[in-house]
Amino acid sequence: MSSTTEPTGDPRPRVVTGPGGGGDVAVAGWRCSGCGHPIAQQVSRCPLCRSSVADSVFPAEGEIWASTCLRVRVPGHTPPFAVAYLVLDDGPRVLVHTPGEQPLPPASRAKVTGMSETGDLLAVAVEETA
Amino acid sequence: MSAAYVYGVGTSRFGRQPGVGAPWLAQQAIGEALDDAGLDDLGAIDAVFAGTVFGAPGTAQRALQLLGITGVPILTFENACATSTTALHEARHAVLSGRFRRVLCLGVETMTLHFSGPITPEETDAEGRAGLALPGVYAMVASRYEYLYGLEPKALAAVSVKNRRHGALNPRAQHGAEVTAEEVLASRMVADPLTLLQCCDISDAATAAVIGGERGVGRDVRIAGSALRSGELWDHRSTHPWGYELMSTVAGQAWREAGIGPGDVDVFEVHDAFTIGEITATEALGIAEPGGGCDLVLSGHTALGGAQPVNPSGGLLSRGHPLGATGLAQIAEAVWQLRGDAGARQVEGARVAAVETMGGGTAGIDGNGCVVVVLGG
Repeated sequence: MSSTTEPTGDPRPRVVTGPGGGGDVAVAGWRCSGCGHPIAQQVSRCPLCRSSVADSVFPAEGEIWASTCLRVRVPGHTPPFAVAYLVLDDGPRVLVHTPGEQPLPPASRAKVTGMSETGDLLAVAVEETA
Repeated sequence: MSAAYVYGVGTSRFGRQPGVGAPWLAQQAIGEALDDAGLDDLGAIDAVFAGTVFGAPGTAQRALQLLGITGVPILTFENACATSTTALHEARHAVLSGRFRRVLCLGVETMTLHFSGPITPEETDAEGRAGLALPGVYAMVASRYEYLYGLEPKALAAVSVKNRRHGALNPRAQHGAEVTAEEVLASRMVADPLTLLQCCDISDAATAAVIGGERGVGRDVRIAGSALRSGELWDHRSTHPWGYELMSTVAGQAWREAGIGPGDVDVFEVHDAFTIGEITATEALGIAEPGGGCDLVLSGHTALGGAQPVNPSGGLLSRGHPLGATGLAQIAEAVWQLRGDAGARQVEGARVAAVETMGGGTAGIDGNGCVVVVLGG
């Protein structure tokens, strides 16, 4: 059994409308039907147990794992641009772009809000509430 | 065959040499290696294990025919930055198995033919497409490391200062100038927190080594152990910075095979493409506990004159980084150190050396490949 969607040629994860509809955003991916492993890159089978995988959507919010700001020329992107690894809640880790030049600190909360003009996942800091 | 030996090593000049082709660079490196091995008869070479990352198809054959090395099996390897140490690891096993008596290893890269600055990320890679160039990969390592253990900028700067001081003693280094910590930290930011003087330069160069069985020549250097593997899946379950677990696993395999531990090693050459890479590598090799790599460099333990010098050649930070040639450049330095031929940068009494090369760039795994080689003893 293979993944249910055809590859698009662009290997980056993408956003879809979340379960709340409207402006609610989720991150599209795949989840193993056997072990539950969440995956952000398209696979034909689970890389852990080789079970089939099914299309899935993951919550847009998660925790920053590491971050930086790139200040060198990279094709398709204009420096400076900040990026971070974001571990989605009950989901995979994805690479996101974040606004401005100040990287979001590890262990802080962030949320994917959409796609950038360059086609990358775009995330912003989630304000902590007391 | 009970053991494989390095008979001879050689390199071309390192540097940005636009217009100098791979065949010419390879001729310089191979010529020196064959002379160093004392092999006048080209028929003594049974096979060639070559490595290049960005080279055109036929790069090795195109160079070798000009040297008259023809009519033998030629295998070309690609394993990112670990390409030519992969070739050496495989050559060692080819000799140990009896498949070949003598293998010429070659690493060659003409980086300026393809890039003027940082390596362009691969568009078919999910993170490469998103703009995560290699300085960003290592900057993320620094970010995670800082979160786990704390990371002062002065520790990163100390790696660059140390290795460039070593490089000033190495006539083959691409960048042979000493720098201060202030200059390192004040240089242009590339990817926070890594500044320009914490990043290696691209380079055009070739490197070579001749590997064979025991022949009773005192200058030959025994390969006591070597290990190679690719990274495991590296995803939301991972806690360590990129590459740490792969380097640690491979190092463990190499130590077991050599029957020694990191405390028995007199001199190391490790993959310092970016300063943070040396800090995590020294921890993964077991020279320090996780989080102890900064103290290692700040205390002088890893400097020339310290207890266990790391990168006496100046490392990639001084030598430059011709990807497919870098691994054998590290091997060459280890061989020179063990023979006592390293001149002003000689580690006194060096008997055991270890080389670590880390290759990466693929999203989702803990490294394309890592090789650790133990020599001497």
